[in-house]
Amino acid sequence: MVAAIKRPGWIRGALGALLGAAFGFALVVALRKASGLPTFQTEQTGYPQVVVPLISGPLGFLLGFGCFDYWLRWAAGMPTIPEDHSQHGAKSWKDYFRFNTDHKVIGIQYICTTFFFFFVGGLMAMLIRAELAQPGTQIVDAGTYNSLFSTHATLMIFVFVIPVFAGIANYVLPLMIGAPDMAFPRLNALSFWMLPIAGLLFVGSFLAPGGAFDAGWTGYAPLSTGAPLGQSFFNLGVQFAGASSIATALNFLVTIITMRAPGMTFWRMPLLVWANLSTSLLVVAATPFIAGVQFMVLFDRALHTNFFQFSGGGDVISYQHIFWFYSHPAVYIMMLPGFGIISEVISTHSRKPIFGYRLMALALIGIVVLSYSVWAHHMFVAGMFSWLRVPMMITTLLIAVPTGIKIFSWLGTLYFGKIHTYSTSMLFALAFIVTFTIGGISGVMLGMVPLDIHVSDTYFIVAHIHFVLFGGSVFTIFAGIYHWFPKITGRMYDERLGRVHFWGTLIGTWGTFIPMHWIGMDGMPRRVADYASQFGNWNLLISVFAFFLGAVQLVFLYNMIVSWRFGPRAEANPWRAKSIEWLVSSPPPIFNFPEIPRVVGGPYEYGVPGARHAIMAGESAEVERPEPAVVGTT
Amino acid sequence: MYGRLPIAKMLAATVALAAAISVVMVSIHWDGQQASTAAPKIDDLLNVMIVLSSFVFSLVCVMLFYALWKFKAKPGDESDGEPIHGNTRLEVAWTVIPTIIVLFGAGYSWSVLHDIEQPAKNAMTVDVFSQQYAWSFGYPGKGDVYVQGEMHVPVNRQIQFKMHAQDVIHSFWVPEWRIKKDNVPGITTTAIVTPDRLGTYQLICTELCGFGHASMRAKVMVETPADFRKWVAGLKETVPAPLKESIVQDTETNPVPLSAGGA
Amino acid sequence: MESATVALGGHAHEEHHGPPEANQSSRIDRQTLGILLFIVSEVMLFGAFFASYFFLRVVVHPPMWPPAPYKLPVAVAGVNTAILVSSSFTIHYALESIRRGNRKGLKLGLVLTWLLGATFLFIQINEYVHLGFSARDLAFGSIFYSLTGLHGAHVFVGLCLLSFATIRAFRGHFGPEEKDHLGVEVPGIYWHFVDVMWIIVYTAVYIL
Ligand code: HEA
Ligand code: HEA
Ligand code: CUA
Ligand SMILES: [Cu+2]
Repeated sequence: MVAAIKRPGWIRGALGALLGAAFGFALVVALRKASGLPTFQTEQTGYPQVVVPLISGPLGFLLGFGCFDYWLRWAAGMPTIPEDHSQHGAKSWKDYFRFNTDHKVIGIQYICTTFFFFFVGGLMAMLIRAELAQPGTQIVDAGTYNSLFSTHATLMIFVFVIPVFAGIANYVLPLMIGAPDMAFPRLNALSFWMLPIAGLLFVGSFLAPGGAFDAGWTGYAPLSTGAPLGQSFFNLGVQFAGASSIATALNFLVTIITMRAPGMTFWRMPLLVWANLSTSLLVVAATPFIAGVQFMVLFDRALHTNFFQFSGGGDVISYQHIFWFYSHPAVYIMMLPGFGIISEVISTHSRKPIFGYRLMALALIGIVVLSYSVWAHHMFVAGMFSWLRVPMMITTLLIAVPTGIKIFSWLGTLYFGKIHTYSTSMLFALAFIVTFTIGGISGVMLGMVPLDIHVSDTYFIVAHIHFVLFGGSVFTIFAGIYHWFPKITGRMYDERLGRVHFWGTLIGTWGTFIPMHWIGMDGMPRRVADYASQFGNWNLLISVFAFFLGAVQLVFLYNMIVSWRFGPRAEANPWRAKSIEWLVSSPPPIFNFPEIPRVVGGPYEYGVPGARHAIMAGESAEVERPEPAVVGTT
Repeated sequence: MYGRLPIAKMLAATVALAAAISVVMVSIHWDGQQASTAAPKIDDLLNVMIVLSSFVFSLVCVMLFYALWKFKAKPGDESDGEPIHGNTRLEVAWTVIPTIIVLFGAGYSWSVLHDIEQPAKNAMTVDVFSQQYAWSFGYPGKGDVYVQGEMHVPVNRQIQFKMHAQDVIHSFWVPEWRIKKDNVPGITTTAIVTPDRLGTYQLICTELCGFGHASMRAKVMVETPADFRKWVAGLKETVPAPLKESIVQDTETNPVPLSAGGA
Repeated sequence: MESATVALGGHAHEEHHGPPEANQSSRIDRQTLGILLFIVSEVMLFGAFFASYFFLRVVVHPPMWPPAPYKLPVAVAGVNTAILVSSSFTIHYALESIRRGNRKGLKLGLVLTWLLGATFLFIQINEYVHLGFSARDLAFGSIFYSLTGLHGAHVFVGLCLLSFATIRAFRGHFGPEEKDHLGVEVPGIYWHFVDVMWIIVYTAVYIL
């Protein structure tokens, strides 16, 4: 028992959580006594005696769980535990529930955790659709409904789409650039363990008095500053999720810049690496803004400051400016890694080099730069400075250009290739091109101020959101999962079920989200539990498709679990791809490579006679070839 | 290399598909009834964008499906495709053309925005007060009379709405007018509308404002000037003091800051 | 695997059966790049609060800033600024010393820096106590306390990092080799950032 308490792990973690929470509670009580306030706050919002433990508790858990052991010993100048790599690699399923510094283990931890939250968020979507199936009240009252879509969106964005990309990249990116691990493995593990905390805070808010947070995922002040306790769970959850993704982004940047294999110049990096480079640039510089603004809301709630209280000289609209300065870049944080995945999948399965590789990389950087200059397109009707609308409209529309470059280059890649559609990943990639184009085009329409004035905050927005986020991001996530499933698990998934999942998802997505465009334009606002009866039939149709879409996701779940357990063994390179992760066994050996490989050419040299991307240790080293000149111009 | 492609045929197919989609989409009357001078302008913009977008969309589809039809690998064909790394002319083309399209769209939108927001001299001002979860209205020009839950305005006369939120953000939307504007606590927001169609419409709150958000509606009646005058004359109540204060205290852009200790 | 600590440098040790040593594909080492990127996001965190400051002061545009009757102790804070800035030199001295292998200088520099930082924090807290307005008093109070408080928090973190370095210095760690004093260099970079950031906060909040 004593030993168990000494050893880092769940028991010590639980203990740490308890002590941390107790400490936070005591601190608040003491401070309130000292400053002569009533020990237990009585206002509707705030509850510092709950909020502070919600911070100190999780930190205590991380401490007890062993996230900081090495650093503390190091800081104290003690001999650090010699690297016996006991925290490395996974021998049994139990190792996935330990503090583990192996990027492959962390990648799997990420993917599984985030998909868990995807299903929870999806379940909430199902409840949303059940409520909206008919006008009037079906299953939940208006207040609960607000909590439902708020948590739905928050879970999907902060603990599914953003981190699942970090998870996929965590697994394949070091392999792709020929690195033995991430630059800061312990920081990497820490970033993962902050994630479940965020998710639990979001879900746990349902237990708070007054119900879960219900101000939408955008949490606009002053609605959020006046909301019951649940809102604080949102504020804090976002802090943990944000800290986690900043740390990961930092890790990716350092890894990509300082740990590439010899010969891997920037222009020889696979586009997935480029995509994560750009995404990380967005995360590092933008995420602090949402951290800051959620702190301000927290202060307004718990300390009764006046950031957003106009009666105290605060500025209500400043919340939206600061929030969207993060949350617009966030939408590209949720898309760029997907772009990277699509590039890998399409060039592999059409057996052809990426069309216009350099322009593809530059387009990513272009999107990064532009996306810092468009935040106010979410505020065209918000009553902000009216002069800001037209400049933001122009920059917003211009983002269509780099994105278009990517779409057309993927299409160009297909030409004169040998397109294989036997793999589900390729199906999702091709479907993504069309579906995302629709979402993007509706985005361009929203970018035009006069149109946005009409459709802002209607179901047209909801349609746009889901075409870009589900038809965009989630399709790319599925493509990536199917593509690297053999590499990650060492097993093949069932292509037949994969096809069922694909066609079901495609039909479900279009059927669910296409009609939303039109009921939105026709006058149905978003975020309503009840609506005018003229939209009844359309919503029923939407709900039916939504349930179908949900049911289809269960096929995916089944396929993944069963194939992981019983699927046929996968060889090292089932897709005959070129990038480095396919040159090692599936799953890769514990330290990735016996020796760092040497990179001798571009990552997509399909059809170039004798071209190689990388040479593994022990292989017969051959002369480096110059990149073949561009073949054929019209 | 790309000379081997039936470019002309593909373009023809694109145009044909785009035309087909556009005809269907434009013939559907997406936005419903038009009841203000702004509505037709906005709907025209929408239709133009629908045509352009369906061209872009068709182009993507034609390119995709032609490739799938022409370059699908035969079963058992393990060979690679042709090592084409790019084509400068194509890359320039699909950088420049979208740029032109979106810049055109931006210019067009700008001009539409400009003339739907032109203030008129004979405009009539209506104060809009929003609070959880109800709308009420004041008529400063008409002896400050006040009415709750139901707004009357004369037809064919420009109305300038001055909006004052009392608690949280609400949003003023009359779909048939195509006009929407947030009501923000502490500041006065303005919207300009010229109703040009008699009838009864709904004012819908489109900014999440709490559990009553969905039911925060009000009746909007566009009447002949004569009927309107009669109706206004019939109003007894005047704008209550607290609401009046919010008018005084709200500024065009921002809250009037209080002196120290006012919080 | 090595130097896997957050940004405090690691120390090489040789047993094999470990992973292959990663290829160093850039001149800059991981810890330094890491801390620099971390500082970028720190700057943006301050940026969020400065954005709020801009809205509350410029956009809302109250007639007086600070609003009557509040006053800010510009002079005291000025002295405090001097104290913090001087600590930048002492940490620099510490680093230079270890570069030249002078352990005494290293310890002296670190201790001095730590003391200066602590003094700054103490004076800051003392200032809070005597200001006569709280974070609840108008948006002015809120943004004043959050900007200076946010910076204070950074000073505190910096002090922690410095304490680590100091402890290890007294335990005989660090050496003239570039990779052997990253544990001083990296906290040093962070400390310089904290100083510069204070100069910005001071100018914006107290002087302008
Ligand atoms: C993955 C996430 C994602 C992505 C990629 C995008 C992409 C874009 N979004 Fe979207 N957006 C969201 C997620 C996303 N959005 C979310 C979640 C919201 C709602 C937030 C909330 O309020 O809850 C939102 C809301 C939103 C608004 C605010 C609406 C409102 O609330 O009033 C606007 C307005 O401009 C907008 C615009 C755009 C534009 C112009 C793009 C562009 O990047 C799209 C570019 C892509 C294309 C255009 C298609 C491919 C291009 C071509 C084929 C080339 C040729 C094309 C043309 C010439 C047109 N989005
Ligand atoms: C990545 C982001 C993401 C994803 C994947 C989804 C997925 C879905 N969303 Fe979500 N949604 C958002 C992001 C996302 N959404 C955002 C940002 C908002 C705005 C919120 C706001 O206004 O603040 C929103 C809002 C939103 C609304 C509008 C609420 C409102 O404004 O009133 C609706 C309504 O239909 C909706 C529906 C759906 C549906 C049906 C799915 C489906 O695709 C879900 C499919 C997946 C599953 C169903 C899970 C798998 C299946 C199970 C868990 C088993 C149970 C299955 C059955 C019982 C059949 N979403
Ligand atoms: Cu008022 Cu929604
Ligand atoms: Cu946006």
